[in-house]
Amino acid sequence: MRRYTSSAALVAALAALSLLTLTYGQIALPLADTLGALTGTQSTDLARQIVLDIRLPRVVAAIIAGGALGMAGVLMQALFRNPVADAWSLGLLAGGQLGVALTVTAAAFAGPAAVSFLTFFEGPSITLAAATGVAIAAFVMLAIGRRVGAITLLVIGLMLGFTSQGLTSVLLHFAARAGGRVYGGWQDASFAGVAPEALPWLALPIFIGVCAAVATAKPLSSLLLGETYARSLGVKVTSLRHAVLAATVLLVAPVVAFCGPVSFVGLIAPHFARALAGTARILPLLPLAALGGALLALAGDAIIHAPWEQHFLHLNAILAIVGAPVVILILIFSPAVRQWR
Amino acid sequence: MLDLRSLAVGYRNAGGFVLSGIDLSAAPGDFVCILGRNGSGKSTLMRTIAGLQASLDGTAQLDGEDIAAMRPATRARRIAVVLTERRFNPGLRVDDVIALARQPFTDWQGGLADDDRAAIADAVAVTEVEPFLRRFFSDLSDGERQRVMIARALAQTPRLMVLDEITAFLDLPSRVEIMALLRSQAREKEQIVLLSSHDLDLSLQLADSVWLLDGEGGFSVGTPDVLSRSGALGGAFDTDAIRFSPADGRFEIKTSGSA
Repeated sequence: MRRYTSSAALVAALAALSLLTLTYGQIALPLADTLGALTGTQSTDLARQIVLDIRLPRVVAAIIAGGALGMAGVLMQALFRNPVADAWSLGLLAGGQLGVALTVTAAAFAGPAAVSFLTFFEGPSITLAAATGVAIAAFVMLAIGRRVGAITLLVIGLMLGFTSQGLTSVLLHFAARAGGRVYGGWQDASFAGVAPEALPWLALPIFIGVCAAVATAKPLSSLLLGETYARSLGVKVTSLRHAVLAATVLLVAPVVAFCGPVSFVGLIAPHFARALAGTARILPLLPLAALGGALLALAGDAIIHAPWEQHFLHLNAILAIVGAPVVILILIFSPAVRQWR
Repeated sequence: MLDLRSLAVGYRNAGGFVLSGIDLSAAPGDFVCILGRNGSGKSTLMRTIAGLQASLDGTAQLDGEDIAAMRPATRARRIAVVLTERRFNPGLRVDDVIALARQPFTDWQGGLADDDRAAIADAVAVTEVEPFLRRFFSDLSDGERQRVMIARALAQTPRLMVLDEITAFLDLPSRVEIMALLRSQAREKEQIVLLSSHDLDLSLQLADSVWLLDGEGGFSVGTPDVLSRSGALGGAFDTDAIRFSPADGRFEIKTSGSA
């Protein structure tokens, strides 16, 4: 019961915050005009353009990306048996960025034809490049994760993330010099760069990823008991691992491709969901983590796009201010982590 | 009915320990204790019977069906295990742990139906874990954890329960309680319970049948009485320091002189 009331409350909060975010920016719009633009009933062309073409894609991207990261966090924390695992902390997002950077650089050096091909098929090609990077990073981390404890894995993930991000920035520098400025200004996380026509490329893989996550939720719950008990409950552990990884890649790769390395959302949302649901079973957590992640991402976006005198805030700065202390609290107080030492 | 037909278990690599030519059976309601010193192959035998490890030769059959050939989902409905290995995800609460036992019986969502809830309620009642259902599993004491693990196995309503050294960390009253509980469950639910233990005294008093592994690839089987009188128990456990006394039915410490 508590799960349904929490979900309803989260949906309401998300709707309210979305509306609020649509009303402000460089030009403030009254709520009535914003609603009018959304419903198409009555508003000026300018209001419609601002709300529908500029602000709505950003808000939708934040909700989709935040929700996907929250769900992926639930999957990864179960798969890695690690309360501080998520796509960002274990270096999957940075791996995806590196995949995109390698692709863009390769195209830049291959010549203008390759660049224009990449630009023309920007949505699918960038997503595919990100997916390859995310998948490789995930496999590497899964292999390492079987040998080391939770905290060591976190440190290794962060370090590999830094390495990948360093390489990404070097690569993109050379790519730009070679004339292939396909992809700029995306090394920091942001939802503002998602064009309306890119939204389907963001949403479609994530939708498939959500289906895969829901389909693996039951056996993944058994895996919470450890591999042997999961097998004794009839779970084929190896194929389950692959399915969960596939779902994670589908959820995460589009986010990297279009929004960059959004930090902390996927790490915190699952804890939030577990606290609300009062269970660690996967299926009840998925919607709550998605809603929590969406709310967190949108709140971060709302703060940086508030009518400040000048635009000075980055999304990851806000997420880090909120997120890092939460992670510190988890590391200090979670019985889960204590048990791992 | 559990039938082991010329079963060989172990690891095939060089120097791996192998236990072979095992022909044994256990009937529903039997409480069987597997005894043997460390490294005598108890865990390997139990894992093989539970279908968690491939046998080297022969078969283990449950009600006429080869356990190794069963579909994983079918096997999960018939065999429950409690193992020493406990790599639980730390966020799990006790009620989650027990409810997960019903996964082999639930639909794709894993939601609990009425008979699932009934099985869980029954398991919770007989193991008396009600007071800590909402606590985190990782916060429980060893004794509480073992009760929860047994509740989980009972909730799986298996035909065969395989429990590996579950009483190792418990004090004497808890050990007696848990073994007596398993024995009465075996009787009441017509389940076969296989339990490996280092607890010779208790096992000999409570078991219907004892499978004794001598640590050198040999084994003997019988009722506790037969085994203790035949000298098999002494053969498996006697060391320079202790010996089994068939007359008293227990071990005694050798004093220098009587050795």
